[in-house]
Formats: sequence, structure tokens, C-alpha cells
Amino acid sequence: MSSSGTQLRSHAKLRENVQSWLIMLPGLILMLFFVWGPLFESVRMSLYKTRNVELVRFIGLDNFISVTGKDDFLQALVNTFSYTFWSLLIGFALPIVLAILIGETTRGKSFFRTAVYLPNMLPGLAVIILWSAFFSGEKSGVLNILLARLGIPPQTYLTRADWVIPIIIIIATWKGAGATALIYMAGMASISPELYEAAAIDGASVWRRIIHILLPAIRKLAGTLLILQIISVFQIMYEPMVLTMGGPDNASLSLMQLMWQYAFGGSMNYGKASAVAVIVTLILLAMTAVYSYFNRKESDWD
Amino acid sequence: MKKAQHTGVIRGYDLHAASVRVFYAVIVILCCLMVVLALFPLVWVSLAGFKDLREFLSSTSIIPSAFSMDAYATTWNQLGITRNYLNSLISVAGSVVCALVFNGLLGYGLGILKPKGHGVVKRMVLLSLLMPPTISIVPLFMNIQKLHMGNSFLPLWLSFGANAMYVILFMQFFESLPASIIEAGRIDGCSQLQTFFRIVLPLSRPICAVVSIFAVNAAWSDFLLPYLVLRGADKQTVMVRLFVFSTEQTVNADAMMRSVVFAMVPPIILFFLFQKQLTENAVSVGIKG
Repeated sequence: MSSSGTQLRSHAKLRENVQSWLIMLPGLILMLFFVWGPLFESVRMSLYKTRNVELVRFIGLDNFISVTGKDDFLQALVNTFSYTFWSLLIGFALPIVLAILIGETTRGKSFFRTAVYLPNMLPGLAVIILWSAFFSGEKSGVLNILLARLGIPPQTYLTRADWVIPIIIIIATWKGAGATALIYMAGMASISPELYEAAAIDGASVWRRIIHILLPAIRKLAGTLLILQIISVFQIMYEPMVLTMGGPDNASLSLMQLMWQYAFGGSMNYGKASAVAVIVTLILLAMTAVYSYFNRKESDWD
Repeated sequence: MKKAQHTGVIRGYDLHAASVRVFYAVIVILCCLMVVLALFPLVWVSLAGFKDLREFLSSTSIIPSAFSMDAYATTWNQLGITRNYLNSLISVAGSVVCALVFNGLLGYGLGILKPKGHGVVKRMVLLSLLMPPTISIVPLFMNIQKLHMGNSFLPLWLSFGANAMYVILFMQFFESLPASIIEAGRIDGCSQLQTFFRIVLPLSRPICAVVSIFAVNAAWSDFLLPYLVLRGADKQTVMVRLFVFSTEQTVNADAMMRSVVFAMVPPIILFFLFQKQLTENAVSVGIKG
């Protein structure tokens, strides 16, 4: 091949590459503006004193020191881990149970699948307001009406410091569990039926088949969904904002809600808000790193 | 009718044992219970909407005393929800267009064109899935302010053009297309953009449908960024309006529940129209690639 031929080809290759990048450019600009830029920007902003949208001057870690020094930060940090704890307790195993139950039905399987998925489609805000009527402490609260039928006096729910986080998690689970169950069902569908047949011939009971075949088969999927669930719990913000305004006495205040309050709660302190956002990001990164470390170790053994 | 098959852990022959038959009956009962739990709140709220404030606060029956649409109509007119519905429609339509065009083209680049260096972009897209979007809402809002795009639908539309999950859905779909078809287009002398519009796009109806359905729902339900951006009452969407009600608590409890119904009806209609696409793709969207 002559050298001019290769040159022509490499020229064409270059033009093709440039064209490809041009096609991707609009999407890249938007990703930069809406996703990647703001992530770096929040790190930068957290190191500055801000006035409105202006960065006034570099102040190092002062925002972090000031934010973490306040009582409400410690409370929000503890609350966020409490949200995570309750979410794992209430919301982690439930979708697996739902998936097993629906997977075993013969008639009406697609009806069950559809029905449990429906709450996931509803706007999160509308769901929170809808459930606030159920957990209302008034006599007209739906749960209190149901309790009254059983002869139990009306209770308060959202004003109890030790109930408010589990209640918010119950609402979130009501919305999300069905969708997660569908993911598990897809995972379970890929288990070879021959495994069950062989186990049955060996005399393994239905229960033992679940323990020894089904659960091990979805373990990896469960690990992935666990980390996704933790990430989504850390996003909890508008739920307590709408339901309890973070109360009673900051008992349901979340880290992200604290961030919102710094930024949009009147003081417009974007620097401090960013400091909270950076702290949440670091916690999430640390958790993801721990997860992928264990995940790697596990696949080494396989 | 085809005989129902036991295809799960329980196999057909297990049902010879009485204990397994009881177990199966329990499973069916639990499934029915689950459906009741999933649907009861929705039934309750739509029935509660028929009650006036006095009945709402005093009645202990979930069935309203009268089924007249008056209460719904009054709330609708009083709050002027028509305006909010129109705004939501504008917001949703633009968002879906942006979601398809920008994420589709980026997915085409990453899935088919694969120019030198695309791996870095791919990794960055995948990584951004791990970061909750609300984390960067403060600097994003500031950027929008700096560009003087406040009180306009434009930033909301464009934000749907930067969705890592949709990019990955497109990318994976394009990667699954047979390379020979795309190669054929290239030999016919189509440019890369022509290949996209003439060959790739016509084959991509299923993925476009899926992304559209999810984008419609997400755009309808979104309220945090819209609340910050659309400060003027004339541009508020249904969800922004609901958010304002809920934080100011100026609306009576019964009217509040009717507003919840107004906010839920379009997603429910969408759900019944496209339940097959939705439940089948819940997996890829849920795990996000």
C-alpha cells in the first residue's frame, strides 16, 4: 500500500471520529451542564463563602466546620442512618418475598405483577400527601377510623419521634417494593427448572428448594439492589419536608433536607448547602467502594 | 384455555401432597392481600374526593354519601387546575422530545459509532448513575440562574436530555442491532447522521417507546427543579402546585385529596395503556443498566 493511501485512510478515519464526536456533542454538553458540572461545582462551592450566586472568597474547610458543628447536622446524620436501617429492615426482604409469592402463582400472575407495580408509577409527592391522610392523628385519619372499628382509641403517628422514620419508610416501601419485586422475578426466571426437578427427585421439600436453590441464585442481584436501595434512601428529602417538616423536633430531618434548608430555606447559603451535599457524596462513594471491594473478593473465590 | 402450569419452585407433581396444596393456597391468599394493600389507598382517596369537608372530617365510612362530581368540579375550578394541566403538558412534551433526541444521539455514539476515546464518556455516564441527582441541585439551580433561564420551561426540557439511564438504555439497544445492517448503510454512502435517521431510528421504535413512557412519567412527577425554576404562578405545573399547597397548608384536607387525585390520574391512565411495556422494562430501568 502506498503511503498516500494510508494517509488518505487515516484522514478518513479522523474525519469519521470527528463527525462521531460532533453527533455526541449536544448530549455531552447537556450531561456536562446538568450532571457532571454541578457535581464538581458543588465541591468547589463548598470551599467558598457565597453570597447569592456569587463566590465571595475561598475559605477552605470553614463551611464544613460550621455545618458539622451544629446540632442539627449530627441529628440529620443519625436520622439518615436510621432511615437506612429501617429501610433495610422493612424494605429489603419484602420484594424478595413478593417475588417468590407471585412467581409461584399459576393463574393471575400477570394481574398480580401489574397490581403491585402500579404504586411505583404514581408521583412520589402525591403518594406522600395521600398517606398523610392515613397517618393523620385526627379522628378522621384513616388508620384511626380503622382502629375505632376495633374499639381502639385514636393514636398519633407522625408526632412521635420514634415512629416517624419507620412510617416514612413504610410509605416509601409501599411505593417501591412492587417494582423491585419485578426485578427479582426476572432474576428468578433465569434459574433452570432442571435444578428444581433434580432437587425434587432427591426428595428436597419446597422449602429446602427455596433455601438451597432460589436464594443462592439471586444473591448477587440482591447485593446490587442493596447498594441501590441505600443510595435511594440517602436521597430522602421531600418526604419529611412535606409530611412533618423534619419534625417532631428534627426527629425526621434528613441530610438532604438539611442541604435544601441551607440553600432554599430562606438563608440562601449555597456554600454550606454544598458542604452538606459533598459530605453525602463522600458517604455514598465510601459505601460503593466497600461494596465493590467485597463484590470483587467474592467473585475471586467463585 | 391452556392449563395453568406450575413453573416456579413448586412443580406440578408437588400438589399431590396435602401440605403443599395448603402452602399454595396460602400463597394465593397472600398475593390477593398484597393487591388489596397496593390498591386500597388509591380507592380510598378517589372515594374520599366525593366528600365535602364536613363529611370528610366526620364520616367514618369510606363510601361517600353521594357520588356527585360537584366536589371535584368545584375544587378543579377554584384552584384553576386547567392552567396547571396545560403547563404540565408543555413540560412533559418538551422533556420527552429532549429525552429521545439527546440521549438517543449520545447512545448512538457510544453504542455504534464508538469513536476514539468514547470509553471515558461511557465510564462517566455509568458512574453518574451512582450519584443521586438531588445532590447537585444547588449548583445546577445556580447555573440556570446565571444563564438567566429562570421561569422558563427550557432548562426543564433540557434536563431530560441529560439522563444517564436513558443513554444506557439506548446504548444497549443499539449494541444489540445487527452490525451488518449498519454496515450496509455505510457502504451505500450514508453519512453517520443519515445512517442514524434512515437505518437505526426506524429499527428503534421499541426502545423509543420505552424511554418515552418513562420520560412522560418522570417529567409529570418531577417537582423539585420545576419548583425552583418556575417561580411564576402562570407556569406552575400540577406537581409544583401540589408541592406549594403541601408546604403552605392553605388548602382544606378534602380539596387536598382531590388535588392528589388530579395529580395521579394521568400516570394511572398511562399505566393502563402501557402496562406491558412498563412491567417488562421495569427490570432494566430499575437496575439502571
